[in-house]
Amino acid sequence: MAKMKKKWIVLCSAAIGVIYASEYYASNAQAYLPQPGNQESLIAGNPLSGNSALSDEEGGSSSGSASAPPSTGAPSASPGPSSVNKLFNDGTYTGTGSNRRGSIQVAVTVKRDKITDVEISDFAMHYSESDVVDLPDEVLQKQSSRVDNVSGATYSTRAFEDAVADALSQAKIG
Amino acid sequence: MKPKVWLKSPKGNVLLILLAFLGIASAVSHDWGGAKNALIAVGSAVVFDVGCCLIERRKRIFPDGAFITGLIVSLILSAASPWYVVAATAAVSILSKHLLAYRKKPLFNPAAFGLLLSVPIFHAQQSWWGAFGDLPGWFLPVVLIGGFRVTNRIQKFPQVFSFAVVYLLALFVLDAGILPLHAESLRTGGFYDALRPPFINAALFFAMLMLTDPPTSPAKTADQIVFGAIAGAAGAVIYGLFGGLIYLYIGLLAGNLYQVLRFKFSKRPAKPARPESEIRPYRRLS
Repeated sequence: MAKMKKKWIVLCSAAIGVIYASEYYASNAQAYLPQPGNQESLIAGNPLSGNSALSDEEGGSSSGSASAPPSTGAPSASPGPSSVNKLFNDGTYTGTGSNRRGSIQVAVTVKRDKITDVEISDFAMHYSESDVVDLPDEVLQKQSSRVDNVSGATYSTRAFEDAVADALSQAKIG
Repeated sequence: MKPKVWLKSPKGNVLLILLAFLGIASAVSHDWGGAKNALIAVGSAVVFDVGCCLIERRKRIFPDGAFITGLIVSLILSAASPWYVVAATAAVSILSKHLLAYRKKPLFNPAAFGLLLSVPIFHAQQSWWGAFGDLPGWFLPVVLIGGFRVTNRIQKFPQVFSFAVVYLLALFVLDAGILPLHAESLRTGGFYDALRPPFINAALFFAMLMLTDPPTSPAKTADQIVFGAIAGAAGAVIYGLFGGLIYLYIGLLAGNLYQVLRFKFSKRPAKPARPESEIRPYRRLS
């Protein structure tokens, strides 16, 4: 086995660096392309970590994040009249949670300050969806975006929690 | 072999780099769960390796390879992985090394084989935290420096370069739709992801520290180039078609398969991994 000469190592490394840099630059455009079935950009991360919960005093986090627009463009049910004690508008809201391993989009239905339905509308994690299929039921049970961490599925669990928190932040009144 | 001499050997070199990665990633992230997993993985790998060597009645039992395999497994599996998943993945890796062998050489890279199976069997989640997949992008040069050191020591630059070129170009070709492979995964953000942490960290760690494993990769320059190209192309196609995180392993196993077929159909007998004198013959039954 002949040892590769230093100049060739430098030359090849530089060539690969150029290819990588060109592709990196070219791929930037993809970050802002709408994804099929997901109007949110791929990298539009949801910085919510407060994990809003209906059972919480605070209600949803209102961090003013670039939250995902509802998948249908508007809540599927028109927001009900806000009463003084009401914390959330009725309707179906779409939220997105993402991290370096992908993103999850959920549709959360709220009726009379209760989460009545949670659905994973888009699963774009680099892991298996089967890891988090039970989480929507857990949200309904706990009435909170905080769920138990699924062992070995930390990244998917976090993205799911963020997605639910994002949806609830949109439902929040005020 | 004296410890000082061993540490300067290719295996010693890889071990030091892996331990450095483990220390840096744990210290910077303030998460020592990965270090705990490393102990579990190395323990499991060493126990299974020694057990297999005893069954095979080998004279020389020095589980340095198992130590490295265990470390690689623990650096790739999520630091939050349950201990039994880590132990089982390391065990499967070592078993593959002993059970799937051709002329005393492992057919497939043990760590890649174990990690690949850990996904469907144990639902293991892989984060490549040891390649700084969870840390800021400026940790990438650390992977490069460590990887270059290892690659230089074992003289596998042709293989690493051919992998990198083919992998990057294949991703571009598939993303651009030049080949009608319907690589939906790439067009829905996969191409963007592949070039950024943690995926680019994974590709670099993989190319320089796993693909270069001497027992399961070729030595000659021409063979190295073909091997790297097969691994790069297969990995990119699998990523383009299915996404996920196991594409690199499948690429490597495709390269390993090419190696096996090359040995099988070449007239020249392959050199055994260990001298025959080191392997105690089985007791004759008659």
